[in-house]
Amino acid sequence: MRERSDAELVTRARSGHAESFGELVRRYQQPAFSIALSVIGRHQNAEDAVQESFMVALQRLEDCRNPDRFAGWFLTIVRNRSRNLIRRESLRSGDQIPASASNAGPSPEKAASLAELREGLQEALNKLSEVQREIVLLHDLEGWKHSEIAERLGMPSGTVRSHLHFARKALRVELSGWRDHLAPS
Amino acid sequence: MKNERRVALLRVLDPAHENPGYWERFRAEIMERAAFELARRRELARESVELVLSGWSRSLIPVALAAAVIAAILVSSEAVRDPGAGVPLVLEDVLATDISDEVLETAITGEAHASPVAFMAFVEGNRP
Repeated sequence: MRERSDAELVTRARSGHAESFGELVRRYQQPAFSIALSVIGRHQNAEDAVQESFMVALQRLEDCRNPDRFAGWFLTIVRNRSRNLIRRESLRSGDQIPASASNAGPSPEKAASLAELREGLQEALNKLSEVQREIVLLHDLEGWKHSEIAERLGMPSGTVRSHLHFARKALRVELSGWRDHLAPS
Repeated sequence: MKNERRVALLRVLDPAHENPGYWERFRAEIMERAAFELARRRELARESVELVLSGWSRSLIPVALAAAVIAAILVSSEAVRDPGAGVPLVLEDVLATDISDEVLETAITGEAHASPVAFMAFVEGNRP
């Protein structure tokens, strides 16, 4: 069956079509999480920001004047909500796996090790600028192409490549001591 | 560090890395929170359709009624103004009625003879 375009899904979601909104969530929850994590730097808060952003987007779907560009519009909401979240609350100390979504999570020992690894990665990512973090996560974690990132973040493709190049270079230095931690089980 | 290794390391940041089904549950939570707003939008969309239809009927029915009334008035007034409209005059009928010989002679020999219309007008005008 033909995959519906973002514009079609937005139009149907405006009329309350739950499956269409659900498909938009499925498409953009992970990229949104990457954006939120780039801004906030903590899993729990990033999850909150993404959920909040989907609620805001649903309430303001009429403001998305060009439904074909839903991705860019929505990711801007995510970025703004994430920044608001930082301003609004003082971040809790220590990272936490989201309780509600992590029922089938690893054992406490593995979770601790994973949290440590994530903390190290996050520290490395924090050395990058916000836009570099967004681009490297969207590219390396979500698998978006340069052109997709450029279109959805609203910047020239050359700028995306440049940011990605410098982000990788910086991460190469920062993560050089992490070879033994690759793909923890 | 090669790209593949960096990508593998970054995957640790994905909550689903050690937690299969994380994103399905995450999506389900969002859909649960969105249920009220989606229901509100469905209701709004339903009301909008009804509003459009009732809007049409509100304007369409009076206009149709007015048109029907106007048409009825026009037809009836036309009938009153010219009750014989549409009934052709037949020359034989005119001649068969009670016309005096003088009138008939004058009609046949005079100017009225020039055309059937003039003839009939003359005869009708001189009917006793």
